[in-house]
Amino acid sequence: MRTFFLPLLLVASLTTQASMEPADNMPSDAEVKAHTSALEVAGAFSNDGFKSRDGHIFGKIARKEPKFIQVNLYSGNQYWFIAAASSPAKRIVVTIYDEKGKPIPSEPYESNTQAAAGFSPQTSGPYIVRVEELEGDPAAFCLLYSYK
Amino acid sequence: MFFRIFLTFILSSGAAFATSTPAPLTGKELAAVAKVEAVSIPAPAEAMAALSKVAKPNWQSRYRAPIPTTFSSRAQIALNIGGLIADGYIAVEAEDAQQVKNTGKDIIALAKCLAVSESVIARGNSIFEFAERNEWNTLKEELEATQNEVKLSLEQQHDSGLVYFVSIGAWIRGTEVISGWIADNYTPASAKLLRQPEIVALMQTKLNELPAKAKADPLVSDLIARLPELQNAVSFSSDKSPTQNEVKSVKEISGKLMANISTKQNAKEAK
Repeated sequence: MRTFFLPLLLVASLTTQASMEPADNMPSDAEVKAHTSALEVAGAFSNDGFKSRDGHIFGKIARKEPKFIQVNLYSGNQYWFIAAASSPAKRIVVTIYDEKGKPIPSEPYESNTQAAAGFSPQTSGPYIVRVEELEGDPAAFCLLYSYK
Repeated sequence: MFFRIFLTFILSSGAAFATSTPAPLTGKELAAVAKVEAVSIPAPAEAMAALSKVAKPNWQSRYRAPIPTTFSSRAQIALNIGGLIADGYIAVEAEDAQQVKNTGKDIIALAKCLAVSESVIARGNSIFEFAERNEWNTLKEELEATQNEVKLSLEQQHDSGLVYFVSIGAWIRGTEVISGWIADNYTPASAKLLRQPEIVALMQTKLNELPAKAKADPLVSDLIARLPELQNAVSFSSDKSPTQNEVKSVKEISGKLMANISTKQNAKEAK
């Protein structure tokens, strides 16, 4: 069922992105590829009952220039923060921090240009997601999340 | 549970896992944190999912009377679409197909007032179809997709200032419902769910960035004036559980905001 609706969700959600940098409303080819790749990972989590947020953000990523995005979460839920980058990025990583910038233990997933971090917050409130390129050249990335 | 997911990934894609502990963020890095509506404001369904883990809410008891669908202020229409999206999630949690359809009908009626695109209408029709088939999980995704279609349509009409109103309406209505249930069925654990200081702060920032003309709308200026009270009510320390009276305060503040948002008089005054 989820797989059936994935193309529909992709088409719809490509138009509901937010950008971290000033940009045109329409995503670039690289951003579309990054989003498709992130949705691919989110699709795997949906098999375990995780629901993907339709909202997502695009941005540019480069080595030693990580991006930080605030999310506001509810204790007791489980979350996966999923990022994917387009070529020429080669390897990225996702890390979670609390509102004061202290790293939060999370379950990491890394597979080249796809990465995710999963955790269940003990406290409701703001957290920070860090997306970092470890290998490769500057590229577009997409971040989204799933919860249950 | 996570292990099972990891195993899936390991088996399917040869995934590798990071092991080093990252350093805390520096002050410069904290200052660079982006707050983006699309991911920084949670969907009402997230709060409802969290509440359902510590309680068994009777979601039908949280329905409200139908609201008007003929406002003239575009800001008020956007706020009420957000509120109705939250109502849609409540009906989905209650697994009440008829209520989902009623809410979907009101969403479409209000969306038409904003002259949104046909895609929003199509989304509304999908809500009807999924409700007919009791596809509750799909409906949650469809409701958020509908919300985002409305936002996109507003952006295309160069009305991007209204985009936040949809999210604000949804979050306030969601908070009213969640705090209302917790106030009536208080436990310290459930009360801690209400801690969300940064969401209201982000809303305030975005509302204050609106052009003077938009802020002159009486409903918008009232919202800007009242949000600090809500901000204060949901900004308790992370190691503290609000008391039942404090939860009631969140319920009353968000309830008053929502009542104001859904009262047609405001639209008349705005003209």
